[in-house]
Amino acid sequence: MSRVNGAVSTTIIIAGLALAGYALLMTARNRRMSVPLLAAVGVLEILLLVQVGVIVARLAGGERPAGLATLIGYLIAMPFIPVAAAFWGLVERSRWGPAVIAAAGLVAAVLMVRLHQIWPVIHV
Amino acid sequence: MSEPAAPAEPTASQPDSTRAGPGRLLVAIYALFALSASARAGVQIATKFGHAPVAYLLSAFAGVVYILATVTLAIGSPTARRIAVLSCSVELAGVLAVGTWSLADPATFPDATVWSSYGSGYGFVPLVLPVFGLLWLRRWTRRANTRRGQSTEDVVADGRT
Repeated sequence: MSRVNGAVSTTIIIAGLALAGYALLMTARNRRMSVPLLAAVGVLEILLLVQVGVIVARLAGGERPAGLATLIGYLIAMPFIPVAAAFWGLVERSRWGPAVIAAAGLVAAVLMVRLHQIWPVIHV
Repeated sequence: MSEPAAPAEPTASQPDSTRAGPGRLLVAIYALFALSASARAGVQIATKFGHAPVAYLLSAFAGVVYILATVTLAIGSPTARRIAVLSCSVELAGVLAVGTWSLADPATFPDATVWSSYGSGYGFVPLVLPVFGLLWLRRWTRRANTRRGQSTEDVVADGRT
């Protein structure tokens, strides 16, 4: 079990950083939002939903972290990050749209480290 | 790669609001901090207020300032910009004051706030964010002044910020 959720966290960190790198490159090259970038955001969204599922399964199994309220807050907020970033980035008609996506990628990676701090059984 | 190129920088992509262009990223990051600071403060105050009251109240205050900055930057009217300048200034003063306070008197802060140690727990983003916010808003104030043909009253009012 722990190896499974460790793999999910690690995948999200790598995917988030890769997305941030790709999006920042687009900002640097003065590109607007594109379909491939949106597809990458979709992949990040799916990964985050998988992570939420893994954690909910652990909670359903009766395990409890010390900061349960904080963890639930993270579980609710996490899936909205790629969605909100995609919406906010699409409204923008300049290079700053991908910059918003880059921020979301970095935030996803940081969230995995935070999750581990809130509940150490979630491995990174 | 097949991404459409954005229009050439100086002419066509001149942002028409504080929420457009670089402001889009700024509002996004402010929104993130508004959410995380106020949610965190809410949980802390609800579950263990007595543990670190000063830290939790400061977290809540920071949350309010971030919400105010997010909303006013997103609205971008002249009045909203003034409130945004005020919130970014309070935020900068807050992160400097609380940062120094948390290092000088760690006993008051058994639990961290967003602004503890100048925001080191958040990659120093809380320290950098108000600086970019104020720089971005200054650009708008200047543009508004030149457009209005340098109304003296506004130059004085905005110059102070």
